[in-house]
Amino acid sequence: MQKFEKKIGSQVYKAMAEKVGDKVWIHLNGETLVFDAETSGRRRGKVAGKDAKSNTILAPMPGKITKLFKKLGDPVAVGESVLVMEAMKMEYTLKSNMAGTIKKVAFKELDQVALGALIVEIEPTKET
Amino acid sequence: MKKTDLSNLAIKRLAIANRGEVAVRIIKACEELGIETVLLHSDADINSRAYRMADHKVCIGGSTPAESYLNIKSNIQGAKAKNADAIHPGFGFLSENADFAKACVDAGMIFVGPSENAIRSLGDKVHCKELAKKCGIPLVPGYEGDDQTVETLSKEAARIGYPCIVKAAAGGGGRGMKLITQASEARERIESAQRESLSAFGSSKVFLEKYLDRAKHIEFQVFGDSIGKVRHLFERECSVQRRHQKIIEEATSPSLTPELRRKMGEAATLIAQTAGYRSAGTVEFLFQDGEFFLLEVNTRLQVEHPVTEMVLGIDLVKAQILNACQSFVFSEDQYKSFQGHSIECRVYAENSYEGGMPSTGRLGHVHFPEGPGRRFEYGFEEDDVITSFYDPMIAKVIVWDESRPRAIQKMIEVLNQSVIFGVHTNIPYLKAILSHPEFIAGTMTTQFISKYFSEPLKPPSREPEVDAFVDEIKKQMGKSAWAVKSTATNGGYQNPWSEQWRMW
Repeated sequence: MQKFEKKIGSQVYKAMAEKVGDKVWIHLNGETLVFDAETSGRRRGKVAGKDAKSNTILAPMPGKITKLFKKLGDPVAVGESVLVMEAMKMEYTLKSNMAGTIKKVAFKELDQVALGALIVEIEPTKET
Repeated sequence: MKKTDLSNLAIKRLAIANRGEVAVRIIKACEELGIETVLLHSDADINSRAYRMADHKVCIGGSTPAESYLNIKSNIQGAKAKNADAIHPGFGFLSENADFAKACVDAGMIFVGPSENAIRSLGDKVHCKELAKKCGIPLVPGYEGDDQTVETLSKEAARIGYPCIVKAAAGGGGRGMKLITQASEARERIESAQRESLSAFGSSKVFLEKYLDRAKHIEFQVFGDSIGKVRHLFERECSVQRRHQKIIEEATSPSLTPELRRKMGEAATLIAQTAGYRSAGTVEFLFQDGEFFLLEVNTRLQVEHPVTEMVLGIDLVKAQILNACQSFVFSEDQYKSFQGHSIECRVYAENSYEGGMPSTGRLGHVHFPEGPGRRFEYGFEEDDVITSFYDPMIAKVIVWDESRPRAIQKMIEVLNQSVIFGVHTNIPYLKAILSHPEFIAGTMTTQFISKYFSEPLKPPSREPEVDAFVDEIKKQMGKSAWAVKSTATNGGYQNPWSEQWRMW
């Protein structure tokens, strides 16, 4: 852990920074920032599984699949619940953000999945 | 380390059937009482503060709670193997399990908590409601029947009316609890609550309750001493909840008049006294439009017990242990009034900017800013690993000050100065809540979070000059380990940034 200090205008900013794994963590002004250690870009470290529009459902966290509502070939609507995951003793329902049919289900109920694992793939409905 | 035996207590060696910050809390109480500790831990918890602090340790099973912290036999065997004469269950896990209390006594050990019978009559939410009816305490309308088929439960949900809530009969802490807002959701939510309940508490039994949509969560701490006298130790307000999981708690509630406080305190004392309650427990109420309804009784220590300790000057964990040794008796004038105001924030390992997504990994630097009226309860330190096997609470930050506004002000500053690297935390979210006008006014209800904080927080924007400073730090941190080390050890005189900032 290293400390930094800089005067900006009339205010003194104090910061702490540390490299943990492949991320650089910075605490500045009551705020904690995280960056990928290698890149110098301004982008905040992105969390896996947060794709805005995607035909895949990825595990947003490591955990267990407790319920699959859909099987291969099932139709799915936007916002429809596809499966339930459990992590840290809480349940999280993962929904589809696209309409289509289930093209692939890579795991079964009670399987443990790693962060970012592809769980379900959806064949999008063709726009008519 | 050899312990000095300061008193002649019945407990010489106490086993802790828990983990994280509460295990640390119990170890500290034992250290002060001259009692040795045995930590009953899982495979995953070797890198934790409690493990490093305990006098003796026994690994009682694998990482999943079912293999270890929820396994009665393993816990009893582990405690016996190390010759413990008592077990403290902490909160969560087996803390409200009457079979565990019984197994403990059957094995010749003291259970630090209420009797098996008191746990059965109050801990089972259905029995508890029957007892409340006998005591004349108002209840929220609901269904508590034995018919647990999804069909019956859905029908009953429709009878009670929406929104209604489905809850684990053996539950607590927000697990196995789901809100049903319309008929179409009933089946999915009921099944989900049953699954969560089975996985967290070993029983899929659920019950239904009318959901009060602008209620406050107000709970009374009760304590039954060694001669059976039950007293209430004032209330805590825990209205700031997300998915029925408490986030911020305070003592006392900003919403109670002395008259309501007296009435609710009497009701809480009555139900605990009727059940023959000993040790620490909590009677939870929902409070709406000046009326209160009994929600449930938790037959254990609560996560938020420190705020009561701060305003009353009591040590509830020591009181529990002394009580289990038959050495805790209330005197007439004790704990009759409270002083100042205390707030607790639960620090969860989750990303405030990603809608509370759990965050796991190895902790980097951890720093809590000590000071008067500040208390930090934590179970993990630098290099410890936060795993996905357990709940995401990694620390509790507790403050006390002479008034509520000052306590809020202090909490925000303390959170600003608290540093946790390696995992994301909800600290930004906590600060946003503490700064919200409704929280400051003290008028928040259990709807507060869903009303104002349903969207993930937006990352704050920074001045360009500050951003430039961040870029400089990043660049410096990105250098090779050798380069960073050399600039760090020579006082920074030769580093290219020395005119603008220092390193030490």
